[in-house]
Amino acid sequence: MSQGNATAAPLRPTDLRSLRDAVLDTAGTVGIAGAGTAAGWAGRLAPVDAVLDTTGLAGVITHNPADMTVAVRAGTRLRDLQDELAPHGQHVAFDAARVTDGATVGGLIATADAGPAALVHGSLRDLVIGVTFVLADGTVARSGGHVIKNVAGYDLAKLLHGSYGTLGVLAEVVLRLHPRPERTATLVIPCSLEEAAAHTATALGGPHEPTAIEWTSDGVLLVRIEGTAGALDARLERLRAALGAGEVADADPWERHAELVRGEPDLATLRIGVRPSRLPGVLADLPTRTVTAGLGTGVATVTLPPDAVAAAHARVHAAGGVSVLRSRPEGATAPAWGPPPSALPVLRAVKAELDPQGRFGPGRFDPWM
Amino acid sequence: MTIDSRVVRAFEAALAPEDVISDPVRCRAYECDGLTGYRVAPELVLLPRDAEQVAAAVRVCHEHGVPFVARGAGTGLSGGAVPVADGVVISLARLKRVLEVDPVDRRAVVEPGVTNLEITAAAAPHGLYYAPDPSSQQVCTIGGNVAENSGGAHCLKYGFTTNHVLSCEVVLPDGSLVTLGSDTGEQAGPDLRGLFLGSEGTLGITTKVTVRLLRTPETVRTLLADFPSVAAAGDVVSDIVAAGIVPAAVEMMDTLAIEAAEEAVHAGYTVGVPAALVVELDGPAEECDEQFEQVKQICDRHGCTRLHIAGSPEERAAIWRGRKAAFAAVGRISPDYFVQDGVVPRTRLAEVLDRIAAMGEAAGLRVANVFHAGDGNLHPLVLYNAAAGETERAEKLSGEIAELCVELGGSLSGEHGIGADKACSMPKMFGVDDLEVMRRVRSAWDPRGLCNPGKVLPTPRLCGERPGKYRPHPLEEAGVIERL
Repeated sequence: MSQGNATAAPLRPTDLRSLRDAVLDTAGTVGIAGAGTAAGWAGRLAPVDAVLDTTGLAGVITHNPADMTVAVRAGTRLRDLQDELAPHGQHVAFDAARVTDGATVGGLIATADAGPAALVHGSLRDLVIGVTFVLADGTVARSGGHVIKNVAGYDLAKLLHGSYGTLGVLAEVVLRLHPRPERTATLVIPCSLEEAAAHTATALGGPHEPTAIEWTSDGVLLVRIEGTAGALDARLERLRAALGAGEVADADPWERHAELVRGEPDLATLRIGVRPSRLPGVLADLPTRTVTAGLGTGVATVTLPPDAVAAAHARVHAAGGVSVLRSRPEGATAPAWGPPPSALPVLRAVKAELDPQGRFGPGRFDPWM
Repeated sequence: MTIDSRVVRAFEAALAPEDVISDPVRCRAYECDGLTGYRVAPELVLLPRDAEQVAAAVRVCHEHGVPFVARGAGTGLSGGAVPVADGVVISLARLKRVLEVDPVDRRAVVEPGVTNLEITAAAAPHGLYYAPDPSSQQVCTIGGNVAENSGGAHCLKYGFTTNHVLSCEVVLPDGSLVTLGSDTGEQAGPDLRGLFLGSEGTLGITTKVTVRLLRTPETVRTLLADFPSVAAAGDVVSDIVAAGIVPAAVEMMDTLAIEAAEEAVHAGYTVGVPAALVVELDGPAEECDEQFEQVKQICDRHGCTRLHIAGSPEERAAIWRGRKAAFAAVGRISPDYFVQDGVVPRTRLAEVLDRIAAMGEAAGLRVANVFHAGDGNLHPLVLYNAAAGETERAEKLSGEIAELCVELGGSLSGEHGIGADKACSMPKMFGVDDLEVMRRVRSAWDPRGLCNPGKVLPTPRLCGERPGKYRPHPLEEAGVIERL
């Protein structure tokens, strides 16, 4: 239990009922924990009276292969879910670095995480079609449903996406699935960030439909192509000709990419999102040690000294972007959030409605709320 | 007139006197949206010219407790823009500038009164387009699309409005102006933009929208295929999905819908066949061609009686003209009709169509079916003759069809929204606590309840108290969900 700062043993519910009861039977503040792969992200969890371990809420509830939807308990590790879906030729089109570390579906939603494939598929906010969650007063609520297309009622899954366990505990999640591509290949192009930006413009400006484009501070640009086995070689060749560079990777270059995203224990890790064309300029101004940069998405993950974080937030904000701290070295202080968004009063009002006593996740949005 | 003259003067000061309409005759033009059965004339119509004026108008509403309803082109099909009797309509029709098209970052910034198709028109010179394509895209506005989280024929592959809007500038119900979302998919905090999208005008009014643009696909292949039964056409859709193909669109029409569309636009559909499928694939040429061959084989395997492949952009446009004209064309075979918008899990399409047919027969009414077969979104058109006193019966049947969709594990609405039309059906789909939490969320945004009141969530005033014994939700009976 990486954030278990409560003295009592963590609560470990295994179904919706015991989750609801755990929330009702506990007094005071509650920290919500998943697999612990992002326990240190965002604001530091303040000391809490109880920790709610969600990893017992595991397993598939229903999988309808022909409808391409799956309902799972929120503590299910996405890695395990992908393994279950694979024999059906399906997957959740999502590839955040910590999936392979055992991150749970609920944790990935609560932290608004996303990987390189966000270029095409977005984050889990774009793939969740229904949620069941428990509020701090024990209310069990549901929104969305089991069908991909659905506009009935408010889409409360969005509210939980990026809420870092401050608004409710996810109990069940319904996800939209995609066919697993028959083949995946990545072109590796050694280049500088500036050259990478030019290559990205070429790749996205043509008919190539890459599923991910990321530059890393190892000095390489990775361009991932997915699709049918029959067409992939021709598509790769066409892309390589357009770029005038690149070799098809034989090993998996994305493992190294994920390693960079995870950060370094003695540095702070900052997640950044700015308009893609502004990303190279922003990155050039930061004292980064390592970088992964989605030049199509505008999303980058960088490591830097903890004392540079405050200025980095300010620089990103000045470029119209957003940033959040993902980790800081033990004992170091660094602000988790940059300047507050204009909609902060709405966020506070939602928090006050759903968790008036401030039970869930105290400190996560410090100093905003 | 129940709006105080002092308040009218405040609106006139916030806008310009000539932009505040109080003439009842002119106000009547705003009394309904695309769901013409619901009509309420507003007291005043406000025509702001920019975001600051929208904010100023809402501040006056907030100060004086005047309910307000935002309105785009008024094409909505669920009564989401029906005015409130003692309130004002705030029309966004004059906020219609395309502020920016950025081909490098592939995005456009537009005002809410810009039509869906105008965005694509502005992006087209750069080889880009805006993906969500509701059938009304020539006239419906992006502000309305944001409010309704609009879909369209191509959302099976490309997603809905919510997947294509990066950020919105929004006037909150207290008149403050904020930005929801960011320049990227990255979020700092909960996804308020995502909550706002599809909230049907109940959480605020958008005054500026930043949308993603996609590159126009290199290749588009479209076919129109006839089948001896709806079930055979449904099997084709299942096999396409099972083959791992994500088509850009898969649309189905039944005999009546084909007849109506063909009569209206002569698009080359075969009159009299039980079912027609429109299948469209797009993407890189190599892949698109490979998968298109597979789709043709699947059609053959299921007894396709005629396969028409669009050989030119004009032929493709003709196929789509037939499909998109189907709604309006039904007017040619029936004096009146209701459009329904339920969703079922795709695998239950054949079952739901059988049951709709039986229900129509029992009610003595014809039902034409046009639907997005790829995602199970049905648009049954209940045909009736108001002059023959069939309205009530048709309305009842239409409502029962939507509720049948819920019973089969689906949704009341796939893209038209709940609005005023289906608010009272919401308890069929959601439990008391679910709706109460939605109400709490709404209250956080709009504590005074002035922003498009009476829409989306059922109220006792609107729907009557519904006491009586507890009835389990259908999914609960099926063991899919549990109620605690």
